Amino acid sequence: MAGLELLSDEGYRVDGRRAGELRKVRARMGVFAQADGSAYLEQGNTKALAVVYGPHEMRGSRSKALHDRALVNCQYSMATFSTGERKRRPHGDRKSSEMTLHLKQTFEAAILTQLYPRSQIDIYVQILQADGGNYCACVNAATLATIDAGIPMRDYVCACSAGFIEDTPLADLNYVEEAAGGPQVALALLPKSDQIALLEMNSRLHEDHLEQVMEAASKACKDVYAVLDQVVRDHVHEVTTLLGE
Amino acid sequence: MLTSRTFLKRTRAGAVMKVVREHYLREDIACGAAACEQCGQQPGEPRLEAQPSGAASSLCPAPHYLLPDTNVLLHQIDILEDPVITNVIVLQTVLQEVRKRSAPVYKRIRDVIANPEKHFYSFTNEHHRETYIEQEQGETANDRNDKAIRVAAKWYDEHLKKINNEETIQVILLTNDRNNKEKAVEEGLTAYTCEEYIKSLIANPDLVDRLACVSDEGKEIESGRIIFSEHLPLSKLQQGIKSGIYFQGTFRANRDNYLEATVWIHGDTEENKEIIIQGLKNLNRAVHEDLVAVEVLAKDQWVAPSSVVLQDEGQNEDDDENEEEKENTLKSSVSKNMLRPSGRVVGIIKRNWRPFCGMLSKSQIKEARRHLFTPADRRIPRIRIETRQSSALEGQRIIVAIDGWPRNSRYPNGHFVKNLGTAGDKETETEVLLLEHDVPHQAFSQAVLSFLPKMPWSITEEDMKVREDLRYLCVCSVDPPGCTDIDDALHCRELENGNLEVGVHIADVSHFIRPGNALDQESAKRGTTVYLCEKRIDMVPELLSSNLCSLRSNVDRFAFSCIWEMNHNAEILKTRFTKSVINSKASLTYAEAQMRIDSSSMKDDITTSLRGLNKLAKILKKRRIDNGALTLSSPEVRFHIDSETHDPIDLQTKELKETNSMVEEFMLLANISVAKKIYEEFSEYALLRKHPAPPPSNYDILVKAAKSKNLEIKTDSAKALADTLDKAESPDFPYLNTLLRILATRCMMQAVYFCSGMDNDFHHYGLASPIYTHFTSPIRRYADIIVHRLLAVAIQADSTYPELTDKHKLADLCKNLNYRHKMAQYAQRASVAFHTQLFFKNKGVVNEEAYILFVRKNAIVVLIPKYGLEGTVFFEEKDKPKPNLNYNDEVPSLTVEKTTFYTFDKVKVNIMLDASNIQHQKIRMALVEPKILGSDVPNQTTELSTNSEPEKKKKKLKK
Amino acid sequence: MAAIEVRLPVARKLVAQSLAQGSDKHLVAPGDTITTDTGYMRGHGTYMGDEKLVASVAGAVERVNKLICVKALKTRYNGEVGDIVVGRVTEVQQKRWKVETNARLDSVLLLSSMNLPGGELRRRSAEDELAMRDYLQEGDLISAEVQAVFSDGAVSLHTRSLKYGKLGQGVLVQVSPSLVKRQKTHFHDLPCGASVILGNNGFIWIYPTPEQKNEEAGGFVTDLEPVSLHDREVISRLRNCILALVAQKLMLYDTSIVYCYEASHPHQIKDVLKPEVMQEIVLETRQRLLELEG
Repeated sequence: MAGLELLSDEGYRVDGRRAGELRKVRARMGVFAQADGSAYLEQGNTKALAVVYGPHEMRGSRSKALHDRALVNCQYSMATFSTGERKRRPHGDRKSSEMTLHLKQTFEAAILTQLYPRSQIDIYVQILQADGGNYCACVNAATLATIDAGIPMRDYVCACSAGFIEDTPLADLNYVEEAAGGPQVALALLPKSDQIALLEMNSRLHEDHLEQVMEAASKACKDVYAVLDQVVRDHVHEVTTLLGE
Repeated sequence: MLTSRTFLKRTRAGAVMKVVREHYLREDIACGAAACEQCGQQPGEPRLEAQPSGAASSLCPAPHYLLPDTNVLLHQIDILEDPVITNVIVLQTVLQEVRKRSAPVYKRIRDVIANPEKHFYSFTNEHHRETYIEQEQGETANDRNDKAIRVAAKWYDEHLKKINNEETIQVILLTNDRNNKEKAVEEGLTAYTCEEYIKSLIANPDLVDRLACVSDEGKEIESGRIIFSEHLPLSKLQQGIKSGIYFQGTFRANRDNYLEATVWIHGDTEENKEIIIQGLKNLNRAVHEDLVAVEVLAKDQWVAPSSVVLQDEGQNEDDDENEEEKENTLKSSVSKNMLRPSGRVVGIIKRNWRPFCGMLSKSQIKEARRHLFTPADRRIPRIRIETRQSSALEGQRIIVAIDGWPRNSRYPNGHFVKNLGTAGDKETETEVLLLEHDVPHQAFSQAVLSFLPKMPWSITEEDMKVREDLRYLCVCSVDPPGCTDIDDALHCRELENGNLEVGVHIADVSHFIRPGNALDQESAKRGTTVYLCEKRIDMVPELLSSNLCSLRSNVDRFAFSCIWEMNHNAEILKTRFTKSVINSKASLTYAEAQMRIDSSSMKDDITTSLRGLNKLAKILKKRRIDNGALTLSSPEVRFHIDSETHDPIDLQTKELKETNSMVEEFMLLANISVAKKIYEEFSEYALLRKHPAPPPSNYDILVKAAKSKNLEIKTDSAKALADTLDKAESPDFPYLNTLLRILATRCMMQAVYFCSGMDNDFHHYGLASPIYTHFTSPIRRYADIIVHRLLAVAIQADSTYPELTDKHKLADLCKNLNYRHKMAQYAQRASVAFHTQLFFKNKGVVNEEAYILFVRKNAIVVLIPKYGLEGTVFFEEKDKPKPNLNYNDEVPSLTVEKTTFYTFDKVKVNIMLDASNIQHQKIRMALVEPKILGSDVPNQTTELSTNSEPEKKKKKLKK
Repeated sequence: MAAIEVRLPVARKLVAQSLAQGSDKHLVAPGDTITTDTGYMRGHGTYMGDEKLVASVAGAVERVNKLICVKALKTRYNGEVGDIVVGRVTEVQQKRWKVETNARLDSVLLLSSMNLPGGELRRRSAEDELAMRDYLQEGDLISAEVQAVFSDGAVSLHTRSLKYGKLGQGVLVQVSPSLVKRQKTHFHDLPCGASVILGNNGFIWIYPTPEQKNEEAGGFVTDLEPVSLHDREVISRLRNCILALVAQKLMLYDTSIVYCYEASHPHQIKDVLKPEVMQEIVLETRQRLLELEG
């Protein structure tokens, strides 16, 4: 049986996108009153909710406090209803703790933590619906939540995945494309300065192809940045007008 | 730019699951018409011509584009491929369905779309905002797709009207589905069936022949008598396979007996690996290579594999009565222990039909349009086709495709595809041979040739920098006479420390063929150079194969060298690989080299070098044989070809000289050294060659045959086999040993290429080497090119590239290479067979000595050493009283009347060309000595009038 | 019987557009370069990157002479000396309380910077230290004034005025500190019969207006008298009004709260939190404020 044709000869992907196109990205900032910052983001059918608390006094053991900068505490979780098959995910399953660690690394690189010694910043993200690119959606949502919380950052962190199928780099893989098992790169980028906050690759990819894939991924990140930036500017504009000072 | 629609998909296997996938609808998909200004054209020129110049049709005189539906595309691909049909819109919906239903047709339509002259355009209608439709409730997927096709046709129709053109271009929907057509007409579309349209083409009436006759309801071709039982639907088959009632396997028709086939069961159960199917009804319309489901019959109906040779000779369509008779012959006396699991085909899982070469057997009725077609491959049943040009096609080699096989028809239905030329013509026959064995033999395309180095070519400074200069070495090559693609050369010299330095220099083809370009892809596709008797089908263009890569004498050539330091006992002290430049001092033939070695007067460098090599080779060979390497034998012949007519004038078996084995020895050594090196460096991606040990049962025939001559052959290990074969000699029968070796060769498995990451058994049984690969013939084998690249990376002489380190791609490549090698071998054999026929055609009837190789139930297979020719002697003749045959499979022996034949018996046979069937001209053999009662040499004088009369003596032979 | 009102999703209206006030403010997002001129000083919400002044938060650029700051729309509380804050005691330590004031670090209230019962300024004895938990324990709410700000941003509080001290019965509303307007006084007795403390840190305390102002206990004795239904209703309405103002991003100060309170009268208290009601009353408030400004 012929498998799924991930990229047709006409250059369209299973869902009708071209190789370099992103899925539709929609986002909103400030969805919760209680939290210091919050955001909801949809990247195609992948939906993520991010909440930021802090910077605040250390919770739990005070010994974890860092004397010269803030501690970034992340937590990644997936809703039981987020995947096709309903599944209970008790805390600390391997995948989510790995994801937690990745988020932490990403945001430690972006947040100006040295401004808040001995305090703590909590970033909680949850995937409400998973359709590929979970990490990227989480990073993007968390970026918006962090901006919403007024926490100083070097730059936005924009993340996007890229795959490599039939000798063509594809941007922003959805679940079907991810499940096909080809190589996949997840890139978190500070778009203004082109600095990489995190780069993860699963499965092997020949080094000759890496450059192409990286290029596609960083182009996709910049596209994501354009969308996020618009969301932020609209939000800032709206709020300042309301405040009307 | 993007409009997003989300749609739902229901359940995949097992639990109910809701799958939500995005489906983006776009506005930027161009219609592909050249005259259209609204659509921003996509990269590349528009595919559909502004003024469609397709064939004129009486139905639709206006310019038009065609829009076929799925079934038309699936069944009438032969028509669509014709150059007359241009300007066709292929919808994505259609393409997707085709892809699901038939991979070969999909591949073909893709090729057609890629051809700019055909002006085919594939329109992505499923993602176009205006042509996407949802599946309505209660609507089947098929109905929805039909609707989608109509919607797209409608859209095109309206879209094209907006073009400013004097004449609006029409869109014609081609569909064979009556419902769909009616609905389309209702919606105001122009729709025809494919047949209507093709028949309306004014200038090209011949296309009608190529229409596939898809059995429409009511279009019964034959009487309503049902011959076959119905095929079960796929769902039932799958259920049955799951529950173990049915087995799934590949159907392999018997070459010698059209009423018998075996089915190889896929899966890991050891028992019932092979199921025998006997009888027309049990075969149930399965065709060779189909994937079928079989039901195993009850034990009391099991049969034994028959040793009868049966060919479907019937000219008549209604010869079923004979069939039964023939089937009965199959069931004749068999001992109980010979019974094998038998079964019957209950359904077809996947057809594996391809176009078949063959000839038309013209119907006796003069005006008849329906004719039977006899494929060249005897495993394929005859095919009924409809054509009006039967008289023109008579005696021609043609290609026919199968369309279907209804239950009430003795033969499958098909349609004519292509005419290759007159049968018996050397060119045509060669073409048939190549086509039948799937050998790519077209001239190299411009794209491929563009990657060749520009002439005049010379070695540059940069080249020298990265290569070792070995031009000072006294290198020479030894090859068969007339060889122009010299890919190996050797040298040997004494070092100051008393050791010997031996070098094997292989043409550096990978320097010229860079990974990934068209040249590389074409070579990879061809896989190997195919040597036919009078022709060579090159794997790489001639400029490379016979010039730049060929290590000719007295020119500087690039080489990949493998250099050993050895002591005088041929023990390797040091191995080193390097890219180099060499200058061969002499290109010798085996005979010339042998002469130099033998002649005591010659003392030049080349000769000393050769002598050194020869000495070492002998030691190496001895060591190898001590390790259990097999020396096998197969009769090989060489034709002397008339330079004028290119007809073979003489036959000669190949002679082996010492120098042959000398070159071979060093090639083996190089291959093994390289194999070790690349495996060491790339444990996952080394391309190696293995030769699995055959299962012990394979040797049965050899052991039995040897026993009949009171010899013992041990087969528990390669070493034992080699030793016992060496001892198996009979003073009064010197040829016996060769015969045994020929038989042993038949017991062997095929050696295959594989990727080291995908397998863990590397052993090469025949060479008794733990690891082996092919390195020494990159001009004629693609595997060697890959090995060269791997080795080049391993010694840091070249960089790696993605496909090289992808073990799945490498495994795919191996699969193709194995296939090509097998096919090349078959093609080679077929070519020899054809030339043997030509030879005997000219020579007429001869009597020769022969040895019995195998004994069958109603025939014996003999080998004629003089010609290296193998043939079958039948004891049953049509229209003749049957001789009394008694077959004993224990020994095995066959008693005909009173004469008993054993394996290896010496007989005398009469050889002649049987041209009664032009399609299968064959060498017919008949027994001359010993003489058998009732069986005489067939009278064929009418056909071979010019030749000597065969003996017609009728003498009783008393034993 | 409890009836649950179920609402269907509605498209969000952007109020800002209806206001149609083109803001001429220089708005930036993180990573935006504010100026490449090196003559400026780096303020909050900015950082220097490659000789450029870059914003690190999203908000409006503010220039004071050579100083450039970016004010984020919403942040944690940044303490300034003299600010009035409302906070919650989280911990009792040696000679000090830790108070959560919505700042990046918990604030400190030293035993010495606090009026002890009796009001007298007296020496703190060892007994006082042992009795700290009697005055304030974990969970207690206090009002206080910022005495000092430490280098790491932590704040030291004092309650050396009778105005400050432990808070009794009332309702706490937490809002973003940026929504609290700085004014002369942050203690307001509203005409509607309740009082509010608008903490600069975004903690707003709504409580019934005390009967007699002269109680000098410094608020360490909790008044446990039941509050009348009327007062409770007023407090609830005030709370909802404040939430409405916050949702619509209107600055909080006495006038805006009073106007909003008045505008909310046609609605039931619980209805005030319905989005369309919020929008309506806040719009009315906005209108009145504009009129007031003239």
